[in-house]
Amino acid sequence: MKALQVLIAIGVILGAIFGISAATYALGGWIESGFPVLGHVLVPGGLPGWSWTINLVVLLLVFVMVIATFLTLAERKWSAMMQDRIGPNRATIDLPGLRGRPLGGLFHVATDALKMLFKEDFRPKNADKLLFNLGPILAFAPVLALFAVVPVGPVVDVGGHRIGLQVADPNFGLLWVLAIASLAVYGTSLAGWSSNNKFALLGGVRASSQMISYEVALGLGLVGAMMVFSTVRLPELIQGQTMHLWGGAVDVPGLGVVDVGIPAWGIFLQPIGFVVFFTAAFAETKRAPFDLPEGESEIIGYFVEYSGMKFGLFMISEFAEVVILAAITTAVFLGGWHLGFAGDAWLTERLAGHGILLGAIYSTIFWIKVLVLCYLQLAIRWTFPRFRYDQIQTLGWKILLPQALANIFVTGALVLLDPSLRTLAVVGFLEIGFVLALAMRLTDTEAGHAAGDAQHSADAHGQAPAPLPGPAAASHH
Amino acid sequence: MAYNASKNPTGDLRERLYLPELIRGLAITTRHFLRNLFNPRDTNVQVVDRNSRNLVSTVSYPEEKTPYPPGYRGLHRLVPRDDGKPRCVACYMCATICPAQCIYIEAGEYETVDPVAESRVIEKYPTQFVIDELRCIVCGLCVDACPKDAIRMDTGLHTPSEYTRSGFVWDIPKLLQGPPVSHASDPWNKRQSSAPPPHQHREAHTRIGAGLVPLKLPGGEPQKRTEVTDQPIPVTRFLKD
Repeated sequence: MKALQVLIAIGVILGAIFGISAATYALGGWIESGFPVLGHVLVPGGLPGWSWTINLVVLLLVFVMVIATFLTLAERKWSAMMQDRIGPNRATIDLPGLRGRPLGGLFHVATDALKMLFKEDFRPKNADKLLFNLGPILAFAPVLALFAVVPVGPVVDVGGHRIGLQVADPNFGLLWVLAIASLAVYGTSLAGWSSNNKFALLGGVRASSQMISYEVALGLGLVGAMMVFSTVRLPELIQGQTMHLWGGAVDVPGLGVVDVGIPAWGIFLQPIGFVVFFTAAFAETKRAPFDLPEGESEIIGYFVEYSGMKFGLFMISEFAEVVILAAITTAVFLGGWHLGFAGDAWLTERLAGHGILLGAIYSTIFWIKVLVLCYLQLAIRWTFPRFRYDQIQTLGWKILLPQALANIFVTGALVLLDPSLRTLAVVGFLEIGFVLALAMRLTDTEAGHAAGDAQHSADAHGQAPAPLPGPAAASHH
Repeated sequence: MAYNASKNPTGDLRERLYLPELIRGLAITTRHFLRNLFNPRDTNVQVVDRNSRNLVSTVSYPEEKTPYPPGYRGLHRLVPRDDGKPRCVACYMCATICPAQCIYIEAGEYETVDPVAESRVIEKYPTQFVIDELRCIVCGLCVDACPKDAIRMDTGLHTPSEYTRSGFVWDIPKLLQGPPVSHASDPWNKRQSSAPPPHQHREAHTRIGAGLVPLKLPGGEPQKRTEVTDQPIPVTRFLKD
């Protein structure tokens, strides 16, 4: 029964995503053909290339903001489930049919928003008024601007117009991501400095130093993917990932010839790049285990003096960063809006005349991948303890940076060696398999592991330590 | 599911690589998440008896209440007799032993010719029996001290909330509740009047002192009998100058 409810809820979410995507495609086509109403065209000749306006509204304000808003609930509800708790379930609406039904805590989103809006908007007496107000804006705006270059759906034919689900497609694609992502730190630093509070200042300084450390790894993590696909434009990156490394066509009875294969996804070609980029971008979101700038148990963080909706902007920008990090990771490493393993060519061929349908299906696939990555980030946040400050810097400079550099050299060599990318993929699969095998071996032999531990401790404590050679032994004489 | 960490993490490839351990941790978290997502919550109020695949152990309090263990000390009640009057005989034992001094009793005396036959054998009853529930520390000593089983803490209730302090001062109409209790040894079940019973009832030490019971001492010394006197012992003997 519960499983059925969960499946229905998932279905409703996917249906909403599908519907909104289809509506966006349709509206984009409507705008580009000049608002035809009942056969009468408002703008003769249409507005070619103007579908980005509807993409701007829908992608940023509907998809990113709504998902970020619901992530505030998911953060609490999912963490409760991971920790075997119930989670928020008290807010109800006293209407017939809804009375006494918390719907999984859905109304807590509304109560949170109302609380943020109606709380006192307090400003410390000696705070710098301009910068204090500018802080949340500068923290929030770049995060949304990041999403402009992410293609959510393919470019399809709608009423004779080429409509994509992307706000802007500049030829500097990923560089925009790197440039704008580093702007967000101004908001946090300014918020920390202008609050006239030493703890806020500490948080701001921590934020800026953490950003600087991970900015390097963030960029270098993406370099491998750029080299492999020889582009920085995100649509081309996604297009490059549709290629099958190994594969062929399988004749499925009833469906026709379906293409099956292993796609050239970034995560297969660049597993180290994926880990480095994901870790660095995770550190950029300033969420646990990288929440040193916030550090709620030691310093309260750069937004300690903020309240009301200004604090709400910091919080929602954090969750928007989660969504956008998931979206960029999906686009660069998980094949974007493609199914990948099977059926892409088959689907495109079957839905050749139905651009809106094809685009909506692909957009839904993209958002499914994004939601899975959002879950992964929340699970990471609720699984791992926070790093110590020196561990953060060590991870950034001594582990991620050399790994990323080595990855770039190895990737470059392998791409030169084998332009079909198959060698690179073999190396990637070996890396993934190595890590997974280590992780699996730990889980499936609990008893053997315990026995091994006993032997281990016997080695450590049961026997006398071997005499140290060299100077240690010589010092006794 | 307890995980034994390696004794020497620096020599363990898995722990040094860090990533396998991260994946393992995420697997544990996700396993809990999926189990709790797809399985209905077990609402058995006896948490230890829950055997659902859902791992949530919360008892959602106002809707679900864990039963209290037997012997739980709840709100006081004055135990009624079968005729509805309190069993209390106003002996002040509970008020005396109460460490929080939250019990206040005023005793009344039954008329020798009481219309109720049961009351004829009892001399006293409480005209006022007041417990300040805010001062009560719920130690249960009053229940132990009561010789007539007249006060109990077996209601299994908490003190209900009130808006004023005076609301927590409970008197007989509020305290006298619950099922009536009757024992075969109750005076009104054994005797017909409040006159002293025919047999001489003495405590054991009194009888030893009176020589009714031979006191055996080691060494076969002749027993030195305690002087028993009807005269009151002067209190000044125990006072310091």
